[in-house]
Amino acid sequence: MTARIHGTPRPPAQDDVIFHHPALFYSTGEDYADGVGDFIRKQTADERPVLVAVPGERLTVLRDLVGDAHAGVTWVDMRQAGRNPGRILSMLQDFADRHADRRPAVVGEPIWVGRTSEEAREATRHEALINLAFAGRRATILCPYDTALPERVLTQAHRTHPVVGDPGGYRRSTRYADPHAVCHDCDTPLPEPADPVVLRFEEQDLADVRDAARDWAESAGLPRLRRTDWLLAVNEATGNSVRHGGGHGTLRLWRTAAAVVAEARDRGRLTDPLVGRRRPDPHSPAGGRGVWMMHQLCDLVEIRTPPSGLVVRLHVTLE
Amino acid sequence: MHRACPSASGGAAADRHVAVEYSSDDEWAGHLVVFVRAGLGRGEQVQYFADATDPGLVTRTLADRGVDAASAVRRGQLVVTTADETYLAGARFDPDVMTGLWQEAVDAAAAQGFRGLRAIGEMSWGARRIAGAERLLEYELRIHHEVFERLPLTAWCFYDRRLLARDDLEVLAHAHLARWGTGAAPGGGPGLSAAPLTGAPGFRLAGSAGYEGRRVVASAAAALAASPAERVTLDLSVLDHLDIAALADIADAARRRPTGTPVRLVGAPPALHRMVELFPELGEGLEVDGR
Repeated sequence: MTARIHGTPRPPAQDDVIFHHPALFYSTGEDYADGVGDFIRKQTADERPVLVAVPGERLTVLRDLVGDAHAGVTWVDMRQAGRNPGRILSMLQDFADRHADRRPAVVGEPIWVGRTSEEAREATRHEALINLAFAGRRATILCPYDTALPERVLTQAHRTHPVVGDPGGYRRSTRYADPHAVCHDCDTPLPEPADPVVLRFEEQDLADVRDAARDWAESAGLPRLRRTDWLLAVNEATGNSVRHGGGHGTLRLWRTAAAVVAEARDRGRLTDPLVGRRRPDPHSPAGGRGVWMMHQLCDLVEIRTPPSGLVVRLHVTLE
Repeated sequence: MHRACPSASGGAAADRHVAVEYSSDDEWAGHLVVFVRAGLGRGEQVQYFADATDPGLVTRTLADRGVDAASAVRRGQLVVTTADETYLAGARFDPDVMTGLWQEAVDAAAAQGFRGLRAIGEMSWGARRIAGAERLLEYELRIHHEVFERLPLTAWCFYDRRLLARDDLEVLAHAHLARWGTGAAPGGGPGLSAAPLTGAPGFRLAGSAGYEGRRVVASAAAALAASPAERVTLDLSVLDHLDIAALADIADAARRRPTGTPVRLVGAPPALHRMVELFPELGEGLEVDGR
């Protein structure tokens, strides 16, 4: 099904669906400008608040196209804000919450050429989780996909978007899949590191583990400010192992060519795939802050739930 | 800062609230005699609040070591009782009530003509399942400013190393600005400790404040919240790390303060600044100075 307004492809209007989540496949800058630029203009013309979160170079193009006259548009460089795909959904929900009464619109481009396969996998998980988090909400999230992306990424976009489009128009995705199934498929086994530092811990060891992780990160070359981020995240992960993961866990530390990685492994379970994807109330005694903080502080967070328990990998780049 | 061997004859508030640690009956007796003899000689009233020790053993030990305890008891200058019969007789241990009890005790000693009040309290009850025992650290932190800087009181808190877990004792002893007796146990101090400041009203956290230190943070936060001082400082300059739960506890305490004035944080580690970036609302009620 294709709907057009003023000659521009747009997602089909469905009265029985209040949340719209189309993917737009583009191959050229002109396609991008037409498809995304016209979407933004239409939303602003309807006086809807718009969040545009795309890679910086695309951001410049769109700003030039739309102009800064539209006060209702919020511009965000996704390369920064969405460096870790796991933190994007929180940003989108924050924006939607602030404008819940005005049917907010979002352009979200979480995957760009150059993303690592690990990042793309977590971004695909993010796309699937959008469908859970926004179910029943009055909002539209348009996700542009560069057709230069690997085929496996484009295939997943068909599974995570109920509607897909290109310069020729929009149509229902015949390959759309249950978000839980997509997330399950993203739970690929994590590669084993070579020769990691291994620290086993229980509650009484947590301070020593922090000290050891700090010293190790310094020797690995992690800059001071990033060390603070990484240690806060490691602290939350190991603390969660003690609180929720059976009282003890194992921390492994290693360095890749571009990043330091910490992995906390314990006997915990994580049943809600949306944990950490919405900004928590920091005063809440119920907690819920740890996973959200990990996503905010790290460049990539990978969470797996093998039969043995829970595995959380925290990546922070060395740059 | 801890004084290794405080004066037994009074002086600054920091020297008049002392953690006395011992590991044997003989050590206990030595501390007891020094303290009581000094008080009786100065014309002060001496009160002993026993917990694990039979009250009769207190007076017998004094007598055996040359202190005329019987006469002191007869004239009301020496009072030996138990914690259970006195400040633990209520439904639960309550630091707010204790502050008032110390004021009454000091006033009563003065009314009886004594030149001051000194007290020994056996603190081993802190290891038992007593309602409110979890507030003992909060109490030890608060009384430096709320009691000893206001009242002519000298008190030695007797900590028997045989009756308290090592980590618990270390944390409680660190809440005193003066310690006397058996040195710290091998293995160093606690991972996280809290102590009152010697100058302006406030407290210092030292070490690393993660999940394992949550009880210490909760006690320090409770002390911050209860402080009647208009301006109160939390010194974090020797704190290596604190986590989001610790910051939330401190921020919640700042919001509960009766004076409504912000808590001044001195020497905040980088982690605190980063967390306030993530949760700006936690910075409300705090004045944060960096390192």
